[in-house]
Amino acid sequence: MTASRVLERLLQTLPVLFGVSLIVFLMITLTPGDPVEIMLADSRATPEQAARLRADLGLDRPLPERFLLFLGNALRGDFGLSFFHRRPVWDVIAERLPATIELTLAAILLAILVSIPLGVAAAVKRDRWLDRALSAASLFGVSLPGFWFGILLILLFAVTWGIFPVGGRTSFDLEVPRLTGFLLIDTLAAGRLDAFGSALRHLALPAITLGLPTAALLARVVRSSMAEVLTSDYVLFAEAKGLSRARVLGRHALKNALIPVVTVAAIETGSLLGGNMIVETVFGWPGLGRLVVESIFARNYPLVQAAVLLYAVTYVTLNFAADLAYTALNPKVRL
Amino acid sequence: MFTRRTVVLGGALAVAAASWAKAQGRVREIRVGVTQDALTLDPANHRNRETQTVIRNIYDGLLTRDAEMRIRPEIAESWRQIDARTYEFRLRTGIRFHSGDVLTAEDVKFTFDRLTKDNAMGGQTSPRKGLLGPLQDTVVLDERTVRMVLAEPWPILPAMLPFQEVVNRRHVERVGQEGMQTRPDGCGPFRLAEWRRGEAVILERFADYYGGSTEIPGAGPAQIDRAIFRVMPENSARIAALLAGEVDIITELPASAMRQVEASANAQVMKVNGTRTFFVALNLAKKPFNDVRVRHALNHALDKGAIISRILNNTATPLRGVMSPDAFAFNPDLPEYVHDVARARALLAEAGVPQGTELVLDTVAALKEIAEAIAALLSRTGLRVRAQVWEGAVLTPMWQTPERRRDRDMLLTSWGNGSLDPSDIMVPTLRTGGRGNSAGFSNAEVDRLLDAAETETDQEKRAAMYRRAQAIVTEEAPWIFLWLPQDIYGVARRVQNWRPQADSRINLHRVRVG
Repeated sequence: MTASRVLERLLQTLPVLFGVSLIVFLMITLTPGDPVEIMLADSRATPEQAARLRADLGLDRPLPERFLLFLGNALRGDFGLSFFHRRPVWDVIAERLPATIELTLAAILLAILVSIPLGVAAAVKRDRWLDRALSAASLFGVSLPGFWFGILLILLFAVTWGIFPVGGRTSFDLEVPRLTGFLLIDTLAAGRLDAFGSALRHLALPAITLGLPTAALLARVVRSSMAEVLTSDYVLFAEAKGLSRARVLGRHALKNALIPVVTVAAIETGSLLGGNMIVETVFGWPGLGRLVVESIFARNYPLVQAAVLLYAVTYVTLNFAADLAYTALNPKVRL
Repeated sequence: MFTRRTVVLGGALAVAAASWAKAQGRVREIRVGVTQDALTLDPANHRNRETQTVIRNIYDGLLTRDAEMRIRPEIAESWRQIDARTYEFRLRTGIRFHSGDVLTAEDVKFTFDRLTKDNAMGGQTSPRKGLLGPLQDTVVLDERTVRMVLAEPWPILPAMLPFQEVVNRRHVERVGQEGMQTRPDGCGPFRLAEWRRGEAVILERFADYYGGSTEIPGAGPAQIDRAIFRVMPENSARIAALLAGEVDIITELPASAMRQVEASANAQVMKVNGTRTFFVALNLAKKPFNDVRVRHALNHALDKGAIISRILNNTATPLRGVMSPDAFAFNPDLPEYVHDVARARALLAEAGVPQGTELVLDTVAALKEIAEAIAALLSRTGLRVRAQVWEGAVLTPMWQTPERRRDRDMLLTSWGNGSLDPSDIMVPTLRTGGRGNSAGFSNAEVDRLLDAAETETDQEKRAAMYRRAQAIVTEEAPWIFLWLPQDIYGVARRVQNWRPQADSRINLHRVRVG
């Protein structure tokens, strides 16, 4: 894989980002009525604030000029002012982003840890009762509505058994200085194991809710990939050499079976980052997903625009990273 | 009446109790599950109910309201109306902000100038300016006395002052407009301990609190050590947190969950009338609504009780007129339009309205279900009523002027009356040309009464004028009078000395926990 191929592949992502930018930009233009009046309906802005918003959005300029202005500002990370919060949009988003990333990474880690052993076990015991049970369970897991599953977990583990808290990121008794916004890192950096434990407990239910459907999907990918690898010549050869079953599976089969998993996991990470609105809302998780939901209801268009664009960039980047990783892991595949 | 000695003694006992609790290692804490985070902690820079709820526990106002919604002095010791355009406030002494600065008359003037003067907030104008109507100037007479001067008579100034909190001028100068967003320095019962954006606002008891209004029982420092406003947007999660004992009070309890909360051992449901009047405005400029018999018929035809019980789960109070029963000058003697379809049919026939006449009831998506129920019930008279849902951005301008609403029939809508004063709802919705007069109602006697009440300084006479105006409106029936939705709360049984208020404020100053 040469640098020029990477650059070429990178350039291919530009039309996608341009298209998303255009759609996000048109969101305001296509809204019926005066967007400024609609946005300010609940915030009782003064006339000069309305005029400022109108100027910020460039509503007095021709459409193409407005789009170029929007693109230029977006490239600089300037999405204007969130009238609802009365602060710059990017400041509000940046404040919420670490919580979302932390939850997403925890969910994807959980999904990987659960899916690989289950997928391998199902492939090894193919067409036996364990395989069938795991297939049924993964189908159930993929079909789980996040809203329902989250509430179910809350009722069982928080209300009935009191093992985990209903929501939030950490106990109110614990105050940890904010360094990165990633609570697991900040608590460790502060040497506060009690706060770290509290943060883990608070992370558990939302991470399970978000991660389990992904685990189900990944388990299916691992199973089919592993099943295919197990019938390949080099695995048969390894077994014929008299290597132990564990060594064949761990050393030879799993390494190759995991290649497609990397791709799927990377793409799923992008989906989880942009698709955790429901889980964040259910668990009162102070992340970007919930902020976007609140902003949609508050008609806070500049923030929704910025968030959608951020989701798109993240998704495209992760897809690109998955492609790179796939090529690195499997030299037979070219970009 | 509470004497100074009672207040001091109460305060001393509260401090002693707090010290004892701390010594025992127990923090007396109350947690409130709210649907939305505060947008800012600057009292002058928002128009948001949840934000106001949090801020009002950090800051105090010149005036406040008690649980019965009566206006009471808070930072002000007393107030009086000099004339229709001038009010004077005498301030309490010895009030300190959380920073230790002493509150002065200059702080009061600074607060209201910041709220009402253009560009007074670092080049921006406060979004709360509109809540202070024609307040023109705040003048310091001496270190304990301020006078508010209005550009024109505005009798609801005292009713609107509980919505405004007094800030510390020196603190604003120290931290600037930006600092005010996150570093409050109020003189209220709690000070900010930590704001976890999107998650919770954590407040701790302010030991040097002056005690709040002495005219409301329980004056003195707060009875709890810590108050937490926890953001829980999802209804089920909020209810689960209440049932699990993670929060003590939850707002916006869905009516469908009332039974579940009541059935639990540790929580109960509390309801209070809200301040938003719902009604169907009838386009009086158009036939057949220009005939009062038709308007009476429609009021008789609608079975409000059926909608309240079946759609609103008995969480609304039916109205015979415009005003909430909790409002100033509420007229309790208004006649009722008893549900009577036969009478409605007879009145329509008498007015010459043919059977099968088609009418359209306009509304927005949020009220679709109710609008369809109203349309179905009105259709029992032989009319053919249909509900039509519009985008709010389209519907509002459509009903704003007589020309634009010329072809429209009926509008299902509502009007908030946070001040609980008729001036704040009757003038905009029922005075000739009022900005919210969707029905196009115009009655010379009502206009005269409303105008006279605006300048009347004798509150008894003013109340009498509004009662008379309400009677005329009910008789003229420019609306189908509907209901006042209730606010529903879930409250842990360990919470004592708290009940919901019609203005949606959650004051935690006097709350105790068992």
